[in-house]
Amino acid sequence: MEEKKAVPGFDKLVVASSPHIRAVETVDRLMWQVIIALMPAAVVSVYFFGLRALVLMLVGIASAVLTEALVEKALKKEITIADGSAALTGLLLAFNVPANAPWWMVAVGAAFAIAVVKQTFGGLGANFVNPALAARAFMLAAWPQHMTGKFPVPLDSITAATPLAILKGTATGTLPSYLDLFIGNVGGVLGETSALALLVGGAYLIWQKVIDWRTPAGFIGTVAVLTWIFGGKGGLFTGDPLHHVLAGVLILGAFFMATDYVTSPITPKGRLIFGIGCGFITVLIRLWGGYPEGVSYSILLMNLVVPFLDRWTLPRVYGVTRARA
Amino acid sequence: MELRTFLGGVHPAPSKERTAGSPIQAAPLPKRVVIPLAQGGAPCDPLVNKGDAVLAGQKIGESKAFVSAPVHASISGKVVGIETCLLPTGREAPAVIIEGDGADTWVDSAGSTLEELSVESLRALIREAGLVGMGGAMFPTHVKVSPPPGKSFDSVIINGAECEPYLTCDQRLMVEEPGKIILGLKAWLKVTGAKRGYIGIENNKPEAISALKKAAAGEKDMEVVPLLTKYPQGSEKQLIKAILGREVPSGGLPVDAGALVQNVGTTYALATAIETGRPLVERVVTVTGTPVKNPQNLRVRIGTLVSDLLSYCGLEGEVGKIISGGPMMGIALPTADVPVIKGTSGILLLTPEEAAIPPERPCIRCGRCVDACPIGLIPTFLDQFCRKEIWDLAEEYHVQDCIECGSCAYVCPSKRHLVPALRLGKAEVLARRRRK
Amino acid sequence: MMEKMLRTFYNGIIPENPTLRLVIGMCPVLAVTTAVVNSVWMGLAVIFVLTASNTLISLLRKFIPDKIRIPCFIVVIATFTTIADLVLAAVQPDVHKILGVFVPLIVVNCIILGRAEAFASKNPVHLALADGVGMGIGFTLAIMVLASIREILGSGSWFGIRLMPAGFEPATVMILPPGAFISLGFLLGTMNLVTARLAVRTSRSKQKSSSCAAHAGLEG
Repeated sequence: MEEKKAVPGFDKLVVASSPHIRAVETVDRLMWQVIIALMPAAVVSVYFFGLRALVLMLVGIASAVLTEALVEKALKKEITIADGSAALTGLLLAFNVPANAPWWMVAVGAAFAIAVVKQTFGGLGANFVNPALAARAFMLAAWPQHMTGKFPVPLDSITAATPLAILKGTATGTLPSYLDLFIGNVGGVLGETSALALLVGGAYLIWQKVIDWRTPAGFIGTVAVLTWIFGGKGGLFTGDPLHHVLAGVLILGAFFMATDYVTSPITPKGRLIFGIGCGFITVLIRLWGGYPEGVSYSILLMNLVVPFLDRWTLPRVYGVTRARA
Repeated sequence: MELRTFLGGVHPAPSKERTAGSPIQAAPLPKRVVIPLAQGGAPCDPLVNKGDAVLAGQKIGESKAFVSAPVHASISGKVVGIETCLLPTGREAPAVIIEGDGADTWVDSAGSTLEELSVESLRALIREAGLVGMGGAMFPTHVKVSPPPGKSFDSVIINGAECEPYLTCDQRLMVEEPGKIILGLKAWLKVTGAKRGYIGIENNKPEAISALKKAAAGEKDMEVVPLLTKYPQGSEKQLIKAILGREVPSGGLPVDAGALVQNVGTTYALATAIETGRPLVERVVTVTGTPVKNPQNLRVRIGTLVSDLLSYCGLEGEVGKIISGGPMMGIALPTADVPVIKGTSGILLLTPEEAAIPPERPCIRCGRCVDACPIGLIPTFLDQFCRKEIWDLAEEYHVQDCIECGSCAYVCPSKRHLVPALRLGKAEVLARRRRK
Repeated sequence: MMEKMLRTFYNGIIPENPTLRLVIGMCPVLAVTTAVVNSVWMGLAVIFVLTASNTLISLLRKFIPDKIRIPCFIVVIATFTTIADLVLAAVQPDVHKILGVFVPLIVVNCIILGRAEAFASKNPVHLALADGVGMGIGFTLAIMVLASIREILGSGSWFGIRLMPAGFEPATVMILPPGAFISLGFLLGTMNLVTARLAVRTSRSKQKSSSCAAHAGLEG
């Protein structure tokens, strides 16, 4: 018994299941990483569109966070606004509206994203479509006058048709140069303009292993190939893939919205197929559909088949020779 | 050369630097040992009574069952009781308690050489020496080396991966006693009739690799295989896949892939038994962790209390958790008053901060567990099936193939308690299969 | 008799509201609730057809052979539906045009056929009448609430009267099909919440009274 007294402080022993060590990664950290990765694009859009862009982003974030807190309070759940997921949804939503959108529309859209799309299905991890994109579809149907047509032009107070509408032939105007498209000196929604800033953020996320490269690669690759083959007016293989990749919300969608964990497949193979499917539907809408842009609807549609993709692309189990049906 | 490995896995911080360089020291002779009668297979019947004098190495428990290993006294002294004690496995079992006389008198034993021993006598020696898997599973070794009818071994793998963070006992044995490891491997090859022997070592232990390469020089049927440092490289199935490129069939045993995997500690114990005739009564234990003042690798008599080892090594600061084994698969102990048994590879202490259980959040389907699973399961789906007790789906998604390595829970950003859920599901599915 | 009729009547409004509790006959619920006026006329037509067919089927329940009861029900319902359709076309031609095919479609509405099969054909006339009126009013109230939500948010008005201030830009989506589904979802959720609360309260008061009784018994 004497030996035991020589060993102090065993009164607070934790007995729990293995493993006894955990990686440092947390949900909060992942969400804030994505928000950090969106910062270059946010700065560029404030530079091009002025303080108006900043106001819209702040309204989106504030509304999403507030809605999350209120709903969780009303449902007597733990308040989880610090995990950054609501803030991320609000920011992504603001990235999906043009700079001249009314602030109240962004506020209502963000509240819709959180209250209807996310919390009614059980909150974080339980929503079956991307909240920001579902809210964008909601806003597009509710206030089409603010979501379509002519968008503000950077560093100017006039509005003009978006490059994709010109490319489609539904609006007239001159196509911007590749360089303007790349750095973001074109009209469009807040987050779609600067391919460069978005690529920096996307590369950061892939480098930090926050997102899987398969989804954006499959998505952008499919759009490039299909628009090259079918996008031209002079027959097959005369399309302008670079223009289709740089214009519109493709890069934003491929890196930041199609990769949303909750609404994309859980298996690596599934993510690649998910990306290709998104690209396919995007091209379908852009070239033959009614809208000039199809990224958000393509992601929403693919969100719906995620459970199927998961089941279809189960990894091979060690020691099991026959593939599972 | 590209390093051999397996799919999946994780990279926890090795945390081995505090003990990797410290040579194996003998722990002080314990005054009192608690030797559980069930250490591998069926529980033994005691061969001694309260009050009997025993010598070190004397057999004190044996069972008539085939799947059982005998136990031996680890010190000389007097049996003061046969009582039910708590084991580091979390179970309670009868144990022989011996009060030491301090003389450390051994029973007479005679060593021999491998050449002198026939395959039959070697197998008998393995059983008589009480050898079990010393990596933690404690399966009786003489059963493991006897293939079921119609099956045979063609390869023997010495598991020197030691992929568990913190633990360094196998690493030190390989560095300090490479000759004995090679002798043990030869004995495994002889007893199984296998043609090739491999020693798989993670490439973060270059000293061990070079020591064994030197010792194995000239042995044509042996190969030292450096492996990529990745957890769980030391899991039997993953090791076989990495070294032989074969897979153990689902629900099968390593012998179905023609392979026998042996722990470094067991191999060393076999070599000792051959050379000295002494049974397995001591093993190397790594005592480490932030609250340990002098972390080290100790040669410990079986039955020594963990509290004795801790007071020998010294403590600083508060202790939040005592783990028997490594941090990934070890068992948290409710008290330090448990004996070291044949499968205790380490005693790891964590501070209260390190031991804090992070709050569990909902799964965000990030897929990290899917990437990490070395078996190719979808741990988060299984977690849901098991919590909701949907056993049919759990079985369809192969919960029974889970090796409980903890890689999924380690990487989970939501800190979900995947391992207990899957362990429960695995037990339930296997029990249902037996009932059918 | 009066009490039983009242209970049957109330049953259709809250406990077994056809739209919000039984969730049957969803087609007009989603289609005609773009404006409150439409929903009121639709509701009146359903109340008329439901009450009349319930009553007649209950009267005829002893004469209708079991094997051909469904065709018989349909004939009865179709008769009243045609009357409702023609009357509406005469009285309110504009509304009739908007409601369009949904008035004739009352023939195949689940609520009416369901009540005929489940209630009217098994109960005496006075109860069938009460059930018809109750279910009809329950349906009407439900679609009026739904239409109110959709009209106020989607057009900024109620019964065609502008409610919202001039700066309000109505959310067109609310008078489109998605708006119907979203509002209906929330309405169903609210209804579930309310009935669950009510159930808890009644069981609690029952417990209270029984425990009081037990207590009294002990003391007595």
